[in-house]
Amino acid sequence: MSSSTVSLYLDPQIRDWVLFPITLVMILVGILRHYVVVLLQSPPKKQTREAIREQRAIVRSQILRATSANSPAPPQFYTSISRHLSQAFAAGTYLKDGPPKGDAAPTPPNPMDPANMDGMMSSMKTQMVMMVPQMVIMGWINFFFQGFVLIKLPFPLTLGFKSMLQRGIETPDMDVRWVSSLSWYFLNFFGLNGLYRLILGGENSADSSRDMTASPFATAGAAPPGVPQDFNKLFKVERDNLEFSEGLYSWVGANVEERVLRRHGKLQPQ
Amino acid sequence: MSLPTALERLATYRTNNTRASQDTFEQGCITLKSQSTAKLGDEVWGFLEQLALASIDVGRLDIADECLKQLGVKFPRSPRVDVLTGIRMEATESPDTVLEYYDQLLEEDSANAAAWKRRISVLRRTGKYERAVEELSKFLDTFYTDVEGWLELADIYSSCNQYTHALQALSHALLLAPQNPFTFLQFAETAYTSGDLPLALKMFLVVVEMGERDIKPEAPPSGINFRAWLGVKLCARQLVSASHISSASDTPIPKTIKLIDELATERVLLYYQGEKETGSKHVYDWLASS
Repeated sequence: MSSSTVSLYLDPQIRDWVLFPITLVMILVGILRHYVVVLLQSPPKKQTREAIREQRAIVRSQILRATSANSPAPPQFYTSISRHLSQAFAAGTYLKDGPPKGDAAPTPPNPMDPANMDGMMSSMKTQMVMMVPQMVIMGWINFFFQGFVLIKLPFPLTLGFKSMLQRGIETPDMDVRWVSSLSWYFLNFFGLNGLYRLILGGENSADSSRDMTASPFATAGAAPPGVPQDFNKLFKVERDNLEFSEGLYSWVGANVEERVLRRHGKLQPQ
Repeated sequence: MSLPTALERLATYRTNNTRASQDTFEQGCITLKSQSTAKLGDEVWGFLEQLALASIDVGRLDIADECLKQLGVKFPRSPRVDVLTGIRMEATESPDTVLEYYDQLLEEDSANAAAWKRRISVLRRTGKYERAVEELSKFLDTFYTDVEGWLELADIYSSCNQYTHALQALSHALLLAPQNPFTFLQFAETAYTSGDLPLALKMFLVVVEMGERDIKPEAPPSGINFRAWLGVKLCARQLVSASHISSASDTPIPKTIKLIDELATERVLLYYQGEKETGSKHVYDWLASS
């Protein structure tokens, strides 16, 4: 079948009453969803002083270690900080609930703790706001416009695109350039993100294709805020790192006079 | 001055965190009077905060109150506005009232870093150094990455002649901002004041090494580098002649101390080269006497 013998003509009414409404509805729903999500977001939970201290204790040793190979701190100061941190980590001084008492096995943090469910709940809520309208729109299109051919692409395509562009139409012979209503929905679904970014700014929550891939539980492994961590264990690991860095340590001022003298030609260059 | 330039300059001050209070106040009043705050959109709140701080700084509390009122209506119960209100209170109320106010803020949210810092500054201002140091240490134990906090702690310690403690606080600041030669210079000068000459010498040399990295070795020193060279000279001059110098940090005296002394003299002379003013004569005398 060559394209010159195409005998398919689209009613302009289809353009006015199906093509434009689907696009418009999808854009508007995206914008609406953005604002609903903004409304649903609960303010970030306040943390106590102790919790922040516990979270940031690791950072202290990381900062110390970051420059240890060429450290700005003189040896005495470096070792005193390093030892102090190491001891504090061993004794659990930085733990939120104070040092662990006796030999009682530390209770593993409960992932279903109500205090930690907030984060999960809010992401579930966002997910629902994403999914429900999409399902409704898809149902609407399937119910009213099933089997509609909406537009003809201005360029030829191979047969491989048939399943992508003519979903919902079971005709083996039709030219691939014709796009069905359901396929038009999917094209919009994945393609409108650029438009949302233009209308709502960079960090909008209107784009739904991104959230299709993100499950509310996928983030659990990456330790988002709200998911408990066993800081005691982290501290123990950090102690080893500290000792390791102490071996690597050298002071930036160790041979600085030689370097400066060489630069000014007072010593023979090496 | 026209409105757009005023707005532009204010925006630059905001992003650079410049404390040019008088100028900010004048520009801000132009903007406020021209009734164009609505045109600023969401930036108006940042502008109001900036203007409030500047007008407290220059003592025009009426303007500050006006800004605070607008901010309070827009953001009720915002910790940022609360702290700004506290700063406004510091201008007129007694320190005890203000401390009570900050205590109240901290009771509501114990991790309100801004209120905590203001509280510490009030404590220091009223001369309660012990409590200020205690609170500041606690603050830094929680918010370790606050470089200004460490510098402030070092400053309090130095003002009480506690140089060893000041050096400890400065070493944390060094770890947090190892790219800043001014922290190194402060460390070196504090070490010099505490009498740890070898340590001070090393640190002065580090400053020199950092600062002169991008200029030619023959070029005369300038700015911070010259100050560091003077420090090197001060240390080296004493270390060369003295037989035994104690160092609290066990820093060894470099074997090449004679060469360092020579080089420092050359560098300092290079700075004064061609200068015929009276000041340079004293420097020549001082250098000759060593």
